[in-house]
Amino acid sequence: MDNAQEHIPLHDHKILVANRGEIAMRIMRACCKLGTAFTAIYTADDAASGHVRLARELGGEKSLYRVSSYHDANELMAVADAAGCTAVHPGYGFFAEDFRFARRVTKRDRKLIFIGPSWKIIRELGDKINTKRLARSLDVPTVPGSDRPIYDELEAERIAKTVFEFQEQQGIDHPLVLVKASAGGGGMGIEEVYDPDQFRSVYRRIRNYALRQFKDEGVLIEQRITDFNHLEVQIVADRSGRSPVHFGTRNCSIQSSGRQKRLEVAPGFAPEALSYTFDADRVLRDIVDYSLTMARKVGYDNVGTWEWIVTRKGDPFLMEVNTRIQVENGVSARIARVRGQGDIDLIAEQIRIGLGEPLGYGQADITFDGLGIEYRLIAEDPNNNFTPWVGHIEQFTWKPQPWLTMLTHVPTDEQYEIPTEFDPNLALAIVWGKDLEEAKARGLEFLRDLRLTGHNATGEPLQSNVDFLKTSTERILRF
Amino acid sequence: MDNNIEKRIQNLRDRLTYLNDIFAGKHRDNAELLEEKLLAFAERVRAEALEDPYAELASVEDLFSYVERRLEDNITAMDRVRIVRHPQRICLRDILENVYDNFTEVGGQDEYSLDPGMLIARAVITRRRGKKTYTQSVMVIGQEKGHGAEYRNGGSVKPWGNAKARQYMRVAETEGIPIHTYIFTPGSFPIEDYPGAAQQIARNIYCMAGLRVPVIAVISEGGSGGAEAIGLADKRLMLSHGYYSVISPEGAAAIEGHLKAGERATPELIEQCAHNLKITAQDNLRFGYIDRVVQEPPLGARPWHFDFFRHLRQEVLRATDEVVISTRTLPVLKGLAMARIRKPDANLDEMYTRWGLSAAAKDRLLAHRQQKFLRLSRLAARDRRPFFTKMAVATWDWASKPWVRFKYDFYRKHQRRIRTFMEEMGNEWDVFKGRLLAPWRRLTRKLPNAKSDAGSTQDLTALSSWSGEGQRKMWNYLSPRYKIDRAVTCPNSAAYGCLDLWGPDLFAEFAGVCSHCGYHFPMEPEWYVKNVFDLGSVFEFNSEIEAGNPLGFPGFDDRILAAQKKTKSKSGCMTFEARIDNIKLVVAMLMGTFRGGSVGAAEGYKFVEAAQRAEKKRYPFLAYVHGTAGIRIQEGTHGVIQMPRCTVAVRRYIESGGLYMVLYDTNSFAGPVASFLGCSPYQFAVRSSNIGFAGPGVIKETTGMDIPPKYHRSYRALSRGHIQGIWDRREIRANLKQALLTIGGRNLYYR
Repeated sequence: MDNAQEHIPLHDHKILVANRGEIAMRIMRACCKLGTAFTAIYTADDAASGHVRLARELGGEKSLYRVSSYHDANELMAVADAAGCTAVHPGYGFFAEDFRFARRVTKRDRKLIFIGPSWKIIRELGDKINTKRLARSLDVPTVPGSDRPIYDELEAERIAKTVFEFQEQQGIDHPLVLVKASAGGGGMGIEEVYDPDQFRSVYRRIRNYALRQFKDEGVLIEQRITDFNHLEVQIVADRSGRSPVHFGTRNCSIQSSGRQKRLEVAPGFAPEALSYTFDADRVLRDIVDYSLTMARKVGYDNVGTWEWIVTRKGDPFLMEVNTRIQVENGVSARIARVRGQGDIDLIAEQIRIGLGEPLGYGQADITFDGLGIEYRLIAEDPNNNFTPWVGHIEQFTWKPQPWLTMLTHVPTDEQYEIPTEFDPNLALAIVWGKDLEEAKARGLEFLRDLRLTGHNATGEPLQSNVDFLKTSTERILRF
Repeated sequence: MDNNIEKRIQNLRDRLTYLNDIFAGKHRDNAELLEEKLLAFAERVRAEALEDPYAELASVEDLFSYVERRLEDNITAMDRVRIVRHPQRICLRDILENVYDNFTEVGGQDEYSLDPGMLIARAVITRRRGKKTYTQSVMVIGQEKGHGAEYRNGGSVKPWGNAKARQYMRVAETEGIPIHTYIFTPGSFPIEDYPGAAQQIARNIYCMAGLRVPVIAVISEGGSGGAEAIGLADKRLMLSHGYYSVISPEGAAAIEGHLKAGERATPELIEQCAHNLKITAQDNLRFGYIDRVVQEPPLGARPWHFDFFRHLRQEVLRATDEVVISTRTLPVLKGLAMARIRKPDANLDEMYTRWGLSAAAKDRLLAHRQQKFLRLSRLAARDRRPFFTKMAVATWDWASKPWVRFKYDFYRKHQRRIRTFMEEMGNEWDVFKGRLLAPWRRLTRKLPNAKSDAGSTQDLTALSSWSGEGQRKMWNYLSPRYKIDRAVTCPNSAAYGCLDLWGPDLFAEFAGVCSHCGYHFPMEPEWYVKNVFDLGSVFEFNSEIEAGNPLGFPGFDDRILAAQKKTKSKSGCMTFEARIDNIKLVVAMLMGTFRGGSVGAAEGYKFVEAAQRAEKKRYPFLAYVHGTAGIRIQEGTHGVIQMPRCTVAVRRYIESGGLYMVLYDTNSFAGPVASFLGCSPYQFAVRSSNIGFAGPGVIKETTGMDIPPKYHRSYRALSRGHIQGIWDRREIRANLKQALLTIGGRNLYYR
C-alpha cells in the first residue's frame, strides 16, 4: 500500500482541505472532532464563503491560504509544504477521482497521505471497461453488451444484433442500443440506436468521432436501459483493504433533466411501506453483496460508492464505482448506528481510516434505523431546464428541528453573493423519520418553513428548486 | 594624353585595388611599391615627360604581373574567399560571352527576372573538323553575381530561382543536350517561401541524381546547399582560386567562437577557420570531390583574362566529351577517343564528339554518375568493423545478390500468377459445392436444433476474452527525467494558460506532451527506439562505423569523443532493422543528442548502407530525424558531399520500388533537409518539429532579415507544402503503421 507510513497519532497530523464550500466545512468539522489540525484554501471569489469563516473560527487565520485556483495541483502542493501538512483530503469534485493527483501526493519527495483510496484503485475503478470486466469476472451483473472496445465493424454489427434480439426476448417494446466511444467520458461520443438498420451509420459516426477526439476508434455497444431506478451502496474499508463494510443503500432516482441528483433517500427501497413488482429486499441484499465482493477483490481501502441501475423487473446492473466521498454520504450516516450509537460521521471515519487507523468494527456492529431524505437546495429554475440562477441571497432561514440537519456554506446572518464559477448548490438538508410516512411529512414541513429569498442584478426574485423538491417528495422510493 | 594609355592606367588601378582588397591589409609593402610606381608613371605621362610611354607602361605592367605572380605563391584560403567575392571576379555572363560562341538568356533580363541571381541560357559551341563545322547546344545554368550588382543578391538564389534551374534541367533532358552548370554562390537565400529553400534544393538534387544527359559543373564559389542545388554532376571542375565549402569561414568562426547575436568574429579566427575547413581547389581535388582544377591566372581570373576563357572552354569541352565517351561500350574505340581528347595540347575546337546519347548510353551515364557519388568519402569515416566482418558482409552481399534477384524479380511475379489461378479455381469449386449440397441443406434447415447465426445472449453478460487487457503499461521506455519531483512549466503557459506539469507525470505517462496545449517537450532518442517499434525487435547494424575528424580540425577529436561518451553511440546516425506490428523496416535515425544531429562522413556512410540494405531486403526505409542541425561543419566538404551522395542512394532505393518515409521530430535544418531527407515524397513531422533551411540566428546574421515568429514550425512547413502531415508524438507508432499499410500496400513495397 502506498499510503502506509510509520504510524503517527491522529492529532499529530495536519490535513490540507483541498476543496471549498459545504464539503470543506464538513471536513474541517470532522478534523476538529478527531483532534487533527487542518489547513484550508480559498480563492479570491470565495472569500465570503462559509468555509472560510469556519476555518477562521476553528483554526485561526494561520490555517487559511489563498490560492489562485482549486484546480492547480502545484499550488496545492506548495500550500501543503508551506503549512507542513501530512495529508490531503480532496473532498468531492476537483481532484477527488484524479489518480494522477493521488499518485503525485504519495510519490513526491515529501510524501503526503491521500485521504481516499490508493491511486492504483482509483485508476483501476476509474476505467469503465476495466470496472466492467472486473465485475463480470466476479459474476457481478453488468449492462448487457460488450465489455471491451470493439474495433471490427462486422463484430460490432453482430453484437448490436444480439443486443436487439436480447431485448426483444425480454419483452421490451422499443429496444435501444447504445454506441459509445470506449475512450470517451462525460457523455461525449455516445449515441442511441433504435433501429438495427441504422446501426452501421451510427457506429461509423461514433468510431470516427472517437478517432478524432480520443485517438482510439474502439467503441462499446450496450443495451440502453430507459426505465430504471438509480441506487447506491456506501462502502467503507480501512487501509488493510480486507474487511470492507457497507453503510446501506441510497436511492438517487430523483434527478434534474441534466441527470444531476436533487433528492436522495436512504435506504434504497421501502418494501414494508410500498409494493414493488419485484423482491426489493432481495435486490438491496444482492447489490450490497456484489459491491462488497468487488471491494474485497480490489482491496478497496477507503470510502466509496457503488452505483447501480435497477430495472422495473428488479434486475440490478453495476454502473460505475465512485472512488470518493459523495455529497449524499450524510443521509446514509443519518440512518446508521454503530454498536447502537447514532450520530455517525462518515467523513470523520474516512479521515480516521485514511490516516491508517483500523476501522474498529464489523458489519454486525452496524444497524439501520428509520429513513432519511436529503434535499439539495439549489438556486435554479426547474421549469426552465434547471438553469442556474445567480444573484444575491437576502434571507435564508429555516426552523431548527431535532430531526433536521442543515449543511450549508451560505451565511444566514448576512447577504451572500452566489459565485458564478462553482455549482450553485446552496445547502443540503437531511431529514429523518422513523418510517416513510413520517419522513415525508417532516420533509414537507421543513420545506414549508424554509425562507429563501433574494434578487439578482436586474431585480428579479430568486428562483430555487424548493417547489420541485416538494412535489418530488410525494414520489420518493416509488419505482 | 593618349586615351588608350589612360584606359590601361585605369586597368592597373583596378588591379591595384583588387590586390589591396583580396589581401585585406596583408602585403602592404608590395602594394605600396606598385602604387608608387603607378602614380609616378601617371604623373609623368600627364606631364608628357615621357619619350616612349608605351614602353614605360609595358614595364609597369610587367612589374604588376611580377608582383602578382610572386604573391600568388603565398595566397591563403581566406584570400581565395575574398577573391571569389570580389566584384572584379569573372561572373557567369563573362563566361557566356567568352567561352561560348553564342547564347540566349532564358527567362530574364537583368533585374527583370524571376530571380536575377539564377541565370539560365541556351548557348552554342561551334567546332570544326576539317572543313565541316558542327554546332553543339548546351543548357548553361548558374548563379550570376553580376560584378556586385545589388539585384543579383550576390548569387544567393531564392527557392524559385532553384526551381527555375530544375525546370530547365528537365528541358535539357527532354532536348537531350548537355548541361553546364556554373556555381557562383555563397549559399542559397534562406527564405522559406513555397516550397521552402531546403525543400527546393532537395528537389533539385533529387532531380540531378537521375538526369539522363551529361552534366558538367564548374565551381568558383561553392557555398554548401546553394552549390549542391546545381552541383550534382558527372564531372566537377573547379577554378583554381575558387572555394568549395560547407559554410562561409565567417559562419564557421561564429559557431567555433560561440558568438552570440550581434557579435563579430575576429579576422584571425575567420582566417584560421578558412584554413582549417580545407576549402581550396587543391584540397577538394585531393579528397576526390572534384575531378579537375582549372588553372587561373595569378590572383584569380578577371574579365580581361581572355587566355583564361580560352583555357576554360577547352576544359569544359574536354569534360563534356569525356563524359560522353565514357558511356561508349567498345573498349578500343573508347580508349582511343579518350587518349585523343586527353592530350594536353589537343585543341578540342578542332575535334568533334557527338553529344547525343542512345537510351542505353543514358542508362550507363546514370549508373556511372550514381556509382561515382556512392563511392565518395568512404575513407573519411572510421570503419571500425573487424576485417573479418567486413569481408563477410561483402561476400554475403555478393553471394546473395542472385538469390534476391531470383526471389523478388522472378519468383514473386510468378507466385502471384499462381495464387490468382488458385483463387479463381477455389471460387468455381465453392459455387459447384453449393449447388451440389443445396438439397441437403434444405433438409437440415427445417430440423429443430438448427443454430441461428447470431451469437447467444450469454456473450452479452459474460466476460469476453480480450488480448488487449493488461496493456496498462503504455510505454516501454520512460525518460529518466521522470524520477525528479519537479513541476515543469510549459513554454506556452503564458499564451494558453497551461498549468505547470508534474515532471514524473510529464516524462512518463504523458510522453513529454503538455496535457493542456499539446506542446511536445524533447525526448531522448531511446524513447523512440523503444516505444515506436515492437519491443525487442530492434537490431542495430554498422554501429562500429565511427564519426571522426577527417579534416584534422583542431580540437575536434576531443569533442567527438565527448559526444560519443555522452550518447554511448559512435556516430550521430543509428541504423537498425525493426518491426512495427511485425512489419519489418529499416530505420536510419539522426540523433539530435550527438553534436546536434549533424551529418558527417560516418553518418552519410551509415545512411547509404541502410538505404542499400533496405533495397536489397525489400523493406520499407524510414529516416527518423530526432534532430539535425545540418552538415557537420568541422568535416568541411566531407560533410557537404553527403548531400548528393545520400540523395543518390535514396533515389536508387525509391526507383527500385522502395517506400522511403521521413519523420522529423525536433529541430531539422540545413543540408540533410535540403537533400536526402527533403527528397522523400512522404515526409511527416511530429508537432514539436521546426523545419527549415537556416535557423533564425543564421538568417539574421546572413541576410539581416527579421523573420516572423514561428517561421519554421511544422505547421508552417505543412502549409508551404514541405511535409505531408503532422503527428502527435504519442501516435507515432499507430500513424507509422497506418502509413506503412496504406502507402506501402500489401507487400509494403509500393510498386
